[in-house]
Amino acid sequence: MAEGMSWSVTDGDKLTQAEIYGEVLAQLGDKYSNIVAITADLASSTKIGRFGKKFPAQFINVGIAENTMFGMAAGLAQSGMLPVVSTMAAFASLRSAEQVRTDICYQKLNVKIIATHAGISFGQAGSTHHCTEDLAVMRSFPNMTVIAPADGFETGNAVVAAMEIDGPVYIRIGRGFEPPVYKTQDYDYKIGKAIKMRDGKDITLIACGVGVLQSMRAAEVLKSQGLEARVINMHTIKPIDKDAILEAVTETRRIITVEDHSIMGGLGSAVAEVIVESGKACAFKRLGVPDVFAIVGYPEDLYHYYKFDADGIVETVGALLKMEIEEDENWEDEA
Amino acid sequence: MADKVMLTNRIVLRSIMPLFKVLYEADYMSVRKLLGKYDGVIQFCIKGTDTGAYLEFKNGGLEVLQGIHPNPDVVLPFKHAAGMNALFTGGVPAFGGFPKGLYKITLVGKLLLLMLGLLLLMPNVNPKEPAKRELKVKMIMYMITNALSQLNKGGDEDMMVWTGKQPDRIYQMSVDPDGPAAYLRIKGGKTKAGHGKYTRKAPFVHMRFNGIEGAYKVLGESKDTVSATSDGDIKLEGSPEYAGVMGSFMMRIQDMLMPPKK
Repeated sequence: MAEGMSWSVTDGDKLTQAEIYGEVLAQLGDKYSNIVAITADLASSTKIGRFGKKFPAQFINVGIAENTMFGMAAGLAQSGMLPVVSTMAAFASLRSAEQVRTDICYQKLNVKIIATHAGISFGQAGSTHHCTEDLAVMRSFPNMTVIAPADGFETGNAVVAAMEIDGPVYIRIGRGFEPPVYKTQDYDYKIGKAIKMRDGKDITLIACGVGVLQSMRAAEVLKSQGLEARVINMHTIKPIDKDAILEAVTETRRIITVEDHSIMGGLGSAVAEVIVESGKACAFKRLGVPDVFAIVGYPEDLYHYYKFDADGIVETVGALLKMEIEEDENWEDEA
Repeated sequence: MADKVMLTNRIVLRSIMPLFKVLYEADYMSVRKLLGKYDGVIQFCIKGTDTGAYLEFKNGGLEVLQGIHPNPDVVLPFKHAAGMNALFTGGVPAFGGFPKGLYKITLVGKLLLLMLGLLLLMPNVNPKEPAKRELKVKMIMYMITNALSQLNKGGDEDMMVWTGKQPDRIYQMSVDPDGPAAYLRIKGGKTKAGHGKYTRKAPFVHMRFNGIEGAYKVLGESKDTVSATSDGDIKLEGSPEYAGVMGSFMMRIQDMLMPPKK
């Protein structure tokens, strides 16, 4: 928690990732007078508008022109400003990939990108608004730091911490209805340092974003089956915490990665690279969206369909350990 | 298509009548203290059918059981399902004959006190005592979750479609920090209502009320959830879309249990 920062998260309407980041950004405006918030007609959806209300002179809505927006951000950063750019993940990482890569990352410019509606969190909107490729794209850009916070509290911490980094940072968050994982923002958050949410010796679930909550829920079910699952919140995809991964490989020998992203190129791939390069052997499974364009539906249904919700994780653990997971099939004792 | 009267009757028998037990255990109007030692069975039934439920007072306790008791002490026969529904929804009940066993004053007295207790469910009944307000909240929570399950089991097509496509999910209602709680579990078309918090897995949708007063505003005074959310009386965690659909089914139940228009 950065010194001097204080925001109340006791209100229900501030429990979402977007709400908190909007609030945090508005407060950071007092600390960093050179922040310029930029959006492409999504001030309300992405909550960056909260900053705009407080600092109207430092707020730019470029209209529906994402490529221009990132080019402008690069120019502003060159001029000593601290641009914070917010749009949906699909537009930030796919439509504007060239501007982010060449205008921003190539020059290691101090631009912070907060991408909302990442993964399949905007499930109903279909493939044009799904974004299951952003982690793969962004982590392949040199100089880019890539973060997928677990919830609103962590998003707040990530935004604060991102300001201390001299260079581009990509923070991807959901649609805004993701339940919290943490009860408070006061915990030891450091970019690049994974957080062990719970310890276990039987298997390790390495997760980011909404995968963290699902993993925590799965671990509770597994506990009832006598299994102790370690849960690691790998909020920073790049630079990735190799020590946490290798420690888990050594101590649990079984790794499952969980992400709201394609299983190709995201957290699962990043973790796999670390394990393979270490020469250590372990049972390994990636959970996320397979190599398909995701179907359309409510995100919670899609998480279940692609088996990276708590049920899917439990099922995968059962298959990996070749054990029967006991179901609650008592439907008779209705209250 | 599910018959609305029969569906309502199912809710009356299985969702409302079990609240007698809640009232009894809470010793509402000292009914247990005053008349707890008198055992016996009170049968509610629809004449000429095996549809009914009975209250079995035994050893100071009360069980509400479905079906027909072989030897009840008091029998309240109704002409038809609608006639029984009316008694519990503010209408004029239609009896299918003269009630039996009314001379058993202690049992009838218990029943009358418990029936008075059910009036707590009415929107216009606003007790001031905190214990009664909590009881009202608890009863409404229990009734809603159970009625949602009955809607599914009773064959409401929309509900069956909705539950049929869902994996194992918990719809939890609870009063913070440690007040009453109830849940509805759904899995592939099956449903089950339960009291307290479901412990095996986390809620898919969790309606968390801010204390008894927060819950009372929403459940007791029908404050709309949008205002209640912005005022901090309720926090909704989980899928807003599914919570919204569940809310629409709750409205359907409320509509079924409204007194008939004059």
